[in-house]
Amino acid sequence: MQVTIVGNSAAALSALDSFRERDQEASVTLVSAEPGPAYSRVLLPYYLRRRLSYEGVFIRRMDDYARLRAATEFGVRVERVDPARRELQLADGRRLGFDRLLLATGSAPARPPIPGLEGPGIHSLWTLDDAMRLDPLFREGAHVMVLGSGFVALQGAWAAVQRGLRVIVVELLDQILPRVLDAAAARILHEQLLAYGVNVRTGTRTDGLETDRCGRVRVSTGGAGPFTVDAVIAATGARPNDALLPECLEPGRTGIPVADTMETGVDGVYAAGDVVRGPTASGGPREIHALWPTAVEQGRVAGANLAGAGLSYAGSLSMNVTEMFGLTVASLGRFVESDGDDVFESRDLPGIRYLKLVFRAGVPVGAISLGEPEGAALLGRLRPFVRQKRPLGDLPAFLEGRDLDWRLLGLGGIRTTALAPEASKEKAACASSS
Amino acid sequence: MAQEREIQQTLCRMCDDRCGIDVHLEDGRIIDILGNKDHLWNRGRLCVKARAAVDMVYHPDRILTPLKRTGGGWQEIALEQALDEIAARLAEIGGRHGPRSIAVWKGEAIGFGQQEDLARRFIHALGSPNYLSNDSMCYASRYLGFTLVDGGWPVPDLENSRCIVLWGANPPFAHPNMTQYITAARRRGATLIVVDPRLSAIARRADIHADLRPGTDGALAWGLVHQIVEMGAYDKDFVARHTVGFPRVLEYARAFTPEAVEKETGVPATTVRAIARAMAGAAPHVAAYVGNGLEHHENGVNNIRAVAMLDGLLGALDREGGTFFRGAPPLRELTLYDDVPLTHLGPLGADRFPVLYDKRRECHTMTAMEAILHDDPYPLRAMIVTGANPAATNPNSTKVLEALESLDLLVVRDLFMSETAAVADYVLPAASFLERTELHAHAKHQIVSLTRKVVSWPGVQGEYDFWHDLAWRLGIGDSFPWDDETALNRWLLEPTGLSLEELAAHPEGVEYGSARPGGWREHGFETPSGKVEFTSEYLKDLGFDELPVYLSPAYVDEPDQEYPFVLITGARKLLYLHSRFRNIPRFLTAIPGPEVEMHPSDAVALGVKDGDEVRVVSRVGSVRIPVKVMSPSEIPPGTLQITHGWKDANVNLITHDDRFDPISGFPLMKSVEVRVEKGTRGPDALGGVA
Amino acid sequence: MRIVVVDPDSCVACRNCEYACAYRQNGDFARSASHIRVNFYPEERACVPLTCMHCAKAGCLEVCPAAAISRDPETGAVEVDETRCAGCKMCLLACPYGNVHFDKVASVSRKCDLCGGDPMCVRSCTAGALQFVEADEAVDRRREAVDARLRRILHLDKAEK
Repeated sequence: MQVTIVGNSAAALSALDSFRERDQEASVTLVSAEPGPAYSRVLLPYYLRRRLSYEGVFIRRMDDYARLRAATEFGVRVERVDPARRELQLADGRRLGFDRLLLATGSAPARPPIPGLEGPGIHSLWTLDDAMRLDPLFREGAHVMVLGSGFVALQGAWAAVQRGLRVIVVELLDQILPRVLDAAAARILHEQLLAYGVNVRTGTRTDGLETDRCGRVRVSTGGAGPFTVDAVIAATGARPNDALLPECLEPGRTGIPVADTMETGVDGVYAAGDVVRGPTASGGPREIHALWPTAVEQGRVAGANLAGAGLSYAGSLSMNVTEMFGLTVASLGRFVESDGDDVFESRDLPGIRYLKLVFRAGVPVGAISLGEPEGAALLGRLRPFVRQKRPLGDLPAFLEGRDLDWRLLGLGGIRTTALAPEASKEKAACASSS
Repeated sequence: MAQEREIQQTLCRMCDDRCGIDVHLEDGRIIDILGNKDHLWNRGRLCVKARAAVDMVYHPDRILTPLKRTGGGWQEIALEQALDEIAARLAEIGGRHGPRSIAVWKGEAIGFGQQEDLARRFIHALGSPNYLSNDSMCYASRYLGFTLVDGGWPVPDLENSRCIVLWGANPPFAHPNMTQYITAARRRGATLIVVDPRLSAIARRADIHADLRPGTDGALAWGLVHQIVEMGAYDKDFVARHTVGFPRVLEYARAFTPEAVEKETGVPATTVRAIARAMAGAAPHVAAYVGNGLEHHENGVNNIRAVAMLDGLLGALDREGGTFFRGAPPLRELTLYDDVPLTHLGPLGADRFPVLYDKRRECHTMTAMEAILHDDPYPLRAMIVTGANPAATNPNSTKVLEALESLDLLVVRDLFMSETAAVADYVLPAASFLERTELHAHAKHQIVSLTRKVVSWPGVQGEYDFWHDLAWRLGIGDSFPWDDETALNRWLLEPTGLSLEELAAHPEGVEYGSARPGGWREHGFETPSGKVEFTSEYLKDLGFDELPVYLSPAYVDEPDQEYPFVLITGARKLLYLHSRFRNIPRFLTAIPGPEVEMHPSDAVALGVKDGDEVRVVSRVGSVRIPVKVMSPSEIPPGTLQITHGWKDANVNLITHDDRFDPISGFPLMKSVEVRVEKGTRGPDALGGVA
Repeated sequence: MRIVVVDPDSCVACRNCEYACAYRQNGDFARSASHIRVNFYPEERACVPLTCMHCAKAGCLEVCPAAAISRDPETGAVEVDETRCAGCKMCLLACPYGNVHFDKVASVSRKCDLCGGDPMCVRSCTAGALQFVEADEAVDRRREAVDARLRRILHLDKAEK
């Protein structure tokens, strides 16, 4: 059997490991448009910040593929998938046959139609190539504008601040991280950006950009005079690379829709990662969760099912964590509340500047925390409750990390003292399972 | 450069558990200490105190040269000069006031085997009966209590027991290894009963926690006697053949109904019955252990005797799974009591507390204070203190300091400038446990080990060298004929048939005997009657009740509205032992400071929160200390606890040196009447310790 | 592989394990540096040591976007390679038990690594509540502990009658 994987990032690598755990026989080929071996997109801002060396961004070595007996086609673009003939048509003219196929092609930066946005001096921060181009521009004292205020944009801004650049963030909508944070959390993060000397302009439309002969970019925005920067990082969102299965796409919707098994509408063809519109843990309509942990999970299921395991993906929990401007921002599930939800908010837990838990019908459905890393650990402990739709029980105990799951300890239902409960100074141990 | 790494195996003495350790050295310097997996006692387990012993040994504040007090402060002098001067002064004082005006005081830190006996030997050779030690306040009450009943203090056979009863003892923090043996028993289904006013660490695992009022343990013990007799669950055969005094026991126990016991102790009647039934059900495999918690009360010895009685009653005495006698190795006797009895010289406290001197040859430290300050019964003018810090650990620190400061000569041997050393005339550098070679026995396993001198500093003497050098200068060198520690060890070891070489080759310990339960039943108990003495003629002759009658603690009998709280002191912490180790910065990262433990309802009534500073006042003095609000089941309302040994909140400023157990002379330190004041202005009573 | 198995029925929350681990990580006894944490519930008198179970399917290992978490081939321990860790904290989110800890000073994740095969917590456990046993034995130990407790309670119940 020939199993082919298109992609070389989180979903593809996770699928490759997962497949080989179950099937050591089948022939596996990995095709990727980017040169190999795999690097982590998540780590690019850490490289720009000088937190990691260049070597540090790579998460596989060439011999890792050999060890898993996966043939590789790096720097090779796939033009078309032919489901009928079960072939990939490659840009260099070759055709590669497959019995089973996994599309983990990810997503690519999407840019709005702003005049001058395609010119030189305008950079994305998506690929290793992008990072290598930006790096020499990160000189102390240089001016950089970040267009957009999503995670990638702010990570770029943070890297620039750490390298001593002067940064201006321009965001069209009224708050930073508009689809990610609610107003309260956004305000806290906004304050941090200001504290680090970043010029933040929300509610600002960018009208046009012009690169001059020296390579500097002149930016016009609505509502204020033009300004000039040494470089622009455009990070206004990403779009799934879903063009390989046009017949599977839903009208008006991006992303390849997949079943719980991660199989597409085409028999034997799976998809995982950013490119997918997949099941969510809350059980609602399928969504694109372009997040590293989701891609890892989906890849794991897809890889197993490529080997015939028949697993079902329980749905993406949409969990993410980033560190920037002195704050750890961690999010999980559905943390922007809607009608009928109950909300718990706190601003004075130790080390956590802002915590919000969203409940529905007594069960936690999502959370977001800003502050110290403790918030990420707290959300980590919350995860199984969200995943299993289990009520939290004693919320204060949970928040302090003092929740006790007697079942976990296998001690449920056993008393620890034998005295009759009516004795006046009896101290019966808590024994019943929750 | 080659880094020479080696491991030397020895015993740890950060506390008295004496675990087997592997000391890791690099180029002759200790870099780490881990447990010796082969040692039978701790089996590789080690608490973190041992890890940080490295800090203690190399501490920058370690005293490494002798210090002499002068008008201008401490002066460093050579060892020879120090010894010469000390000897001269001792000779002069002894000449003027008689040899008994000189005393030695040996502390917990230096140990209980040959180090104790060396001090005893020296002072006797000098012609003074005045050997003082920490046993004035620890161990001796239990020794007396059990010995008066059983003829010795048996060791509980924990792992084989089916019911373990701990009285005022908290093994995890006091004798950590005992905990493993308790766990082993519980894993085989043994029940654990813990008698303690506090929810101590071990109490957390108790099947029954009897959180009684401090000092009322005797009432509970008599209540258990009552129940066991009522159930007919006592060993009739053993009682008939091996005990005296049972009829009086029957008669006296009658009053201790469960309801009466509840009234006195606060332990519910149902709990008293439940404990009795648990013990009866498991008899004769009931193993009891009594801790220091029962000793610091005015009724301590009798409470302990009552507890000891239960072993005999249940037939658990001298039996596997119960408690049986495990002798020490038959080392040569170092003390001179038989050769040179000096009873006629009036050992301090022997007239007030004859049992203490008679059975332990132990003088009474609190009486010594009177002798120093008031020449009562006669002048005590000079003292050599080794490994002890009475200024911090004896009751009524103010008076202790006053006394020590007024001595004509005070010599202190210590690793650090303790509160006691700070008022000395001479401070001599002492060798730590890693710098001495000596013999140690673990009676439970009947093994003897030889510790190693792992590191050393020039001029820092071990105990033997010190006493030897001083003895020769004072004309009693004949009593210290051995060349060094090793020669002494060889002499001590000889009767066992074992050689030093054998011990050196087996750091995991060498067996010197095998404890056999049942031996005393066969050949008789080492009491005057040869039987277990529920009633003691010996005590009767001294004017005490022959039976361990129960006396209510004063705070129960005559509650004082002015001092409405009862204070327990001295609860153990894992990382600190008495006044030691607060100068090791790493330890302070875990347990940073002193606190007074308080029930939440008391905190509310007083209007204080966790961390607030309060003043705790007794009839003796006062101390300022932060509050720690406990959980409701951890300490009873109306009861407080302060751990001793903190310089900046010394609870011994307020403990009693004027109220004693009549038999052992132990001071009142664990049921002290106090009041609590909010607000912290003003100094501690009569000033804190320097 | 062998893992650290906890027996809350024997634990007395003396915290020697925490101090021993902290000493190895940090050179002092600050409990925040320890990878084993003992929760103590005074009213229930429950002492619960919690430590990394080196899960067969380790969420932290799988999610790490820096490939900084791997399994030691000899001990089977799941370990963080500090030199590869970028400090993104996804592993904290991925562990459902809160067993990954973050060092804010070094800005890397840290976790139990079984001390290379001779865990200090087990060596220092005062009560013998921690044991280093084969993972499948863990179930047996738990059952033994429960049996022992049942036996004690039955004995006490019988005694009550």
